[in-house]
Amino acid sequence: MTQIPSAAPPGLVLTGACVSLAGKAVLHDLTLHLQEQRIGIIGRNGSGKSTLLRLLAGLIAPSTGRVQVEGVDPFRARREMLSHLGILFQNPDHQILFPTVEEELRFGLEQMGLPKAEAQAQVMALLARHGRSHWQGVSTATLSQGQRHWLCLQAVLLMQPRSILLDEPFAGLDLPTQARLTRALAALPQRLITITHDPGSLAGCDRVIWLEHGRVAADGPPEAVLPRFEAEMQRLGGLDADADLAG
Amino acid sequence: MERNLTHIALFAALIAVLGLVPRVDLAAGVPITAQSLGIMLCGTVLGAKRGALAVLLFLLLVALGLPLLSGGRGGLGVFVGPSAGFLVGFPIAAFVAGWIMERTTLPPFWAAASGGVIGGIGVLYVFGISGMAIVLDKTLSEAALLGLGFLPGDVIKAALAGLVTQAIARARPGALLARA
Amino acid sequence: MLTLTSPVETPLHRLRAGGKLGALALFTFALFWTHSALVLGLGLILVAGLYLGAGGLRFARHGLQMLRPLWPFVAVVALWHLWLEDLAMGAVVVLRMVTAVAAANLVTMTTRLSDMITVLEGLARPLAPVLPPRRLALAIALVIRFIPVLSGRAEQLAQAWRARSGRPPRWRLFGPVALAALDDAETVAEALRARGGAG
Repeated sequence: MTQIPSAAPPGLVLTGACVSLAGKAVLHDLTLHLQEQRIGIIGRNGSGKSTLLRLLAGLIAPSTGRVQVEGVDPFRARREMLSHLGILFQNPDHQILFPTVEEELRFGLEQMGLPKAEAQAQVMALLARHGRSHWQGVSTATLSQGQRHWLCLQAVLLMQPRSILLDEPFAGLDLPTQARLTRALAALPQRLITITHDPGSLAGCDRVIWLEHGRVAADGPPEAVLPRFEAEMQRLGGLDADADLAG
Repeated sequence: MERNLTHIALFAALIAVLGLVPRVDLAAGVPITAQSLGIMLCGTVLGAKRGALAVLLFLLLVALGLPLLSGGRGGLGVFVGPSAGFLVGFPIAAFVAGWIMERTTLPPFWAAASGGVIGGIGVLYVFGISGMAIVLDKTLSEAALLGLGFLPGDVIKAALAGLVTQAIARARPGALLARA
Repeated sequence: MLTLTSPVETPLHRLRAGGKLGALALFTFALFWTHSALVLGLGLILVAGLYLGAGGLRFARHGLQMLRPLWPFVAVVALWHLWLEDLAMGAVVVLRMVTAVAAANLVTMTTRLSDMITVLEGLARPLAPVLPPRRLALAIALVIRFIPVLSGRAEQLAQAWRARSGRPPRWRLFGPVALAALDDAETVAEALRARGGAG
């Protein structure tokens, strides 16, 4: 286990974080402390939720303010972050980097400093545990959409992060695949932060944060936040105002 | 760092994919493939250094035994065959095309098209024709005669390189690393 | 990924890749050094014997197929020297070209991609300060991974085009495919960063 400095609060902490992309403010002065086990971040397209995911993950740095994950700046300490934070991207094709299943799974472990042989042994053990040993040399391009999602999730889990960020985890999946993924996620001991526009997938969360125009519109238990969110989405859907261009 | 690496790798893949595009026969039955367009684009889009590295990476995979050259060719044999000179010239052609894109202030179409002509035809043919002269044991002018058959297709590709680069400059100005 | 390694398992597959490449380099050097049609002819017989002896008829036929791009050049050289009435010189050129390419293809056909990459990593070791071997291996893997992704993207774009047009897209596809490559480069860079970077 990684030592957590005692002074740092556990979890993910944003302090007055702002993000501007191409000169346009996308996130305004966010201050949040995320430490619950199941957190949902909900918002419309363009609400800034994907930017928030990238900020939390350390893929971008805040323009002003501070981000800390288990007391560490995720943008600076990428390697260190691997044991704190995993990210599951929406489109597996954007996440899978390698031509074969074993290389894909092994990569994260090697990134964490494991020797190749040991990483390989862990990968083989994982595949065997899931009855998929025959997947070892299989080309990632030939896997189905659901299988690719499974592979991405396992690649993240092998690194045993404390928290996992999920970007629209159910987008584009058929119902059986959704059900399987929901079950797999529910069983995880990790803290899960799900970013989505779909209130239906957040019902079981401990806490839901509604993001609107880069600010927190509501923050609380799902039964308090989600009905208000849905009512507002219904209202917006009734309007005929889709002609505005962003930026 | 990551962005450089992924751009180089993705454009090496792009050269391969453009080689898979079914060839279009010009009037005289001279086949043109889009592969040399890929070489030009590496330079005009990624710039001289990254473009040349992308082409080198592509050639490395060909040498390792992947059939990525147009018509499914590949392996070590192509590096000793009559077209070997063109392969040697590929990265240099991309570098020169990229250099012209970076160092001139011409509008994207003209900069990329002239990069395509000077790098993708001028420089490339010097290497390609020298290679044919060596392997086929001919004089340079005799070998040049053989290479001329490809000229009409390559002129079209230089123009296409100009159009594609211009389209990228318009759609995604920040993505045109050669001018970033 | 499809490679040119032959599925017909030959004894040559079991030889060390480094040894095969070294022998190939020497053999090729000798081919370009000699000007005797007799020596070159013997070289060709040797290579043909290796194809037939190691892999049999099916393997040799596959090897012959890989020489197909050479035939136009062979025809041109043959006609040229026929016209010059200098057949001996023509024979030297053709024999050398065919033998060199056939020998190189033989190494490619009998060496697995992973073995080639191992040799490459060895050869690239002196470059390590500028080009860490891990980064080179990562670059190679990324290309192999993204060729099918990118060609799938090209196919999708072609279908989207055909859905709204009676004519095939031809060159008009090149721009969108190049843009797709640029976009993928950005998302893959992000995915790479998410897993600790390219080191």
